[in-house]
Amino acid sequence: MILFKKISIISCFLIFFLYGGLIASLFYFFQWDPLATTLTSQRTIFSIRLSLIAATVSTVLSVLVALPSAFALSRYDFPGKRAVDTILELPMIVSPAALGAMLLIFFNNPLGLWIQDHGAQFVFTFYGIVLAQFVTVCGVSTRLIKAAMDEIPVRYEAVARTLGASPAKAFFTITLPLSRRGIYAACILSWAKALGEFGATITIAGSMSMKTETLPIAIFMRLASAEIEGTVVLILILVSIGLSILYVVRLLSRRDSYA
Amino acid sequence: MLEVRDLSSRAGSFVLSNVSLSVHPSSCHVILGPTGSGKTLLLESVIGLRKPDRGKVFVNGDEITLLPMEKRRLSYVPQDLALFPHMTVRENILYARRIKGMRLTTENGVAKELIGSLGIEHLLDRRIRNLSGGERQRTALARAIVSGCKYLVLDEPLSALHESLKRELWYLMKDLQGRYELAILMVTHDLEEAFFLGDAISIIISGRVHQQGTKREIYGCPQSLEVAKFLGVGNLFRSRVTQTSGGALSVRCEDLGVSLNVSADRMKSQITHDNECIVGIRSEDIDILPPAELPPDGTNTVAGAVRSIVETGASFTIIATVGAGSKTVEITVGRAITNRLNLAIGQPILINLPAEHLFLIDPNSRDTLS
Repeated sequence: MILFKKISIISCFLIFFLYGGLIASLFYFFQWDPLATTLTSQRTIFSIRLSLIAATVSTVLSVLVALPSAFALSRYDFPGKRAVDTILELPMIVSPAALGAMLLIFFNNPLGLWIQDHGAQFVFTFYGIVLAQFVTVCGVSTRLIKAAMDEIPVRYEAVARTLGASPAKAFFTITLPLSRRGIYAACILSWAKALGEFGATITIAGSMSMKTETLPIAIFMRLASAEIEGTVVLILILVSIGLSILYVVRLLSRRDSYA
Repeated sequence: MLEVRDLSSRAGSFVLSNVSLSVHPSSCHVILGPTGSGKTLLLESVIGLRKPDRGKVFVNGDEITLLPMEKRRLSYVPQDLALFPHMTVRENILYARRIKGMRLTTENGVAKELIGSLGIEHLLDRRIRNLSGGERQRTALARAIVSGCKYLVLDEPLSALHESLKRELWYLMKDLQGRYELAILMVTHDLEEAFFLGDAISIIISGRVHQQGTKREIYGCPQSLEVAKFLGVGNLFRSRVTQTSGGALSVRCEDLGVSLNVSADRMKSQITHDNECIVGIRSEDIDILPPAELPPDGTNTVAGAVRSIVETGASFTIIATVGAGSKTVEITVGRAITNRLNLAIGQPILINLPAEHLFLIDPNSRDTLS
């Protein structure tokens, strides 16, 4: 029993040192001068702002779609349910680059062209970044929110309804508050995944400086031009922003426990 | 009145067949049955959580079979009570009012009176996780009654409570039922609870109602072998009908090696001479006589010897062997009788099986003959 406990704790630290070691190794190429220049450059500030806005917008959109979909998958039986449930994993089984390529191909189809002509332009624009991130995280957020709702016994809603609540009222007064922690977790993970999204974004939105250059794309561009010190600074910025926001959100959501 | 007519429902391969029952105002109808007999499936079909395959449900003559749950006027309390964990006791109790847009107060009206009767005034601002089992039970009852529904559907709500608390809540439920004129449809597997709370009882086994009636009918005359076994009748013996004429009914009990007279007013027309049957009697209906008190004609009396004595709280369960010792009779007697007879293991006794308490079951159809 004690041995098992030791093994499990050691494996936790193995993971910590794996990722921690990768972050620590960045400091081998770290220099103060490029830090100041990179941080104050207009291009970096634009990339940071673009990444934060696009990740937030795509997360909000995906959670808005994921909430009712997850509820339907968790509570109702309907034709095609199994197909919907299976396709949620598409972003995980298809590489992000392939996902981006699929989007690009779609916008070269008659329907895609019509949308581009009569609606919004997605290829090589901010909307393309949001769409790429949305497509990547929507399935994940639906899966995570469904898992949270599966944990809430259906009897709570049944009791609420026998007390006079309509299905919508039972959802908003019982299911939603009870699965709030799971929804927070889905938001956090979706946002983190969107923030670091690269493959689909570069495929559909390109890598235009001051236009579609998100932080991960900026990192790629610096590395491609062999600017190692600048790359290290951008990676550290991405890691710092991502981890600190995730940590703060976790701290806030911990206070909201019913258990 | 809540009425269920010919209701059939299924969950996976389990089938609940043709259940009919009615719950009259200010009364309690208990569905009694072993675990896995379909009791919860029945309740879920009645409240609308499951769509029945067949049958209808009525409230006060209006059909509600296909109505959504919120329109049925049935308050449901499941086995785990399903108190909303993100709300306080007060918010749970007033939930039905809140969603109807009514004022949220426990300061007057039914809510105040009920909270006082249930003794939960001091708990109103507590979270559910900080309540004991009994406090949760009271809160769930308050929530169901404050909703204004006159029909409560309860799924083994007391099963998780210890014995003394359970009894306290039985009295409380009886009191609330009378005071608020509640009609209760309740499920339990606890015989004592069913007989305490139920005005009418339905015995459900393997998805089928085996017997329905008043407490007296169910207790005094199990209508099938399954019901007799479920109700804890431990004394069931192979017999053969020997006399059915002249208003008398006698059987020869092979297991005990004795002839038994059965009360003639229990005789059914299908009983014929030489019928095979099973004769049954409850352990508490059997008398133990000292050997010196053998009735003059020795009717319904068999000699035996005490094999074991088990103290079960207020009473004793005596297992006595009869004949060559291969068959046993289970007898429940009070402490006073045990002391008076000075019962000890191995002691010879006379076992009297009163005619008025014997019942007969057909071993083929498994239905009662008496």
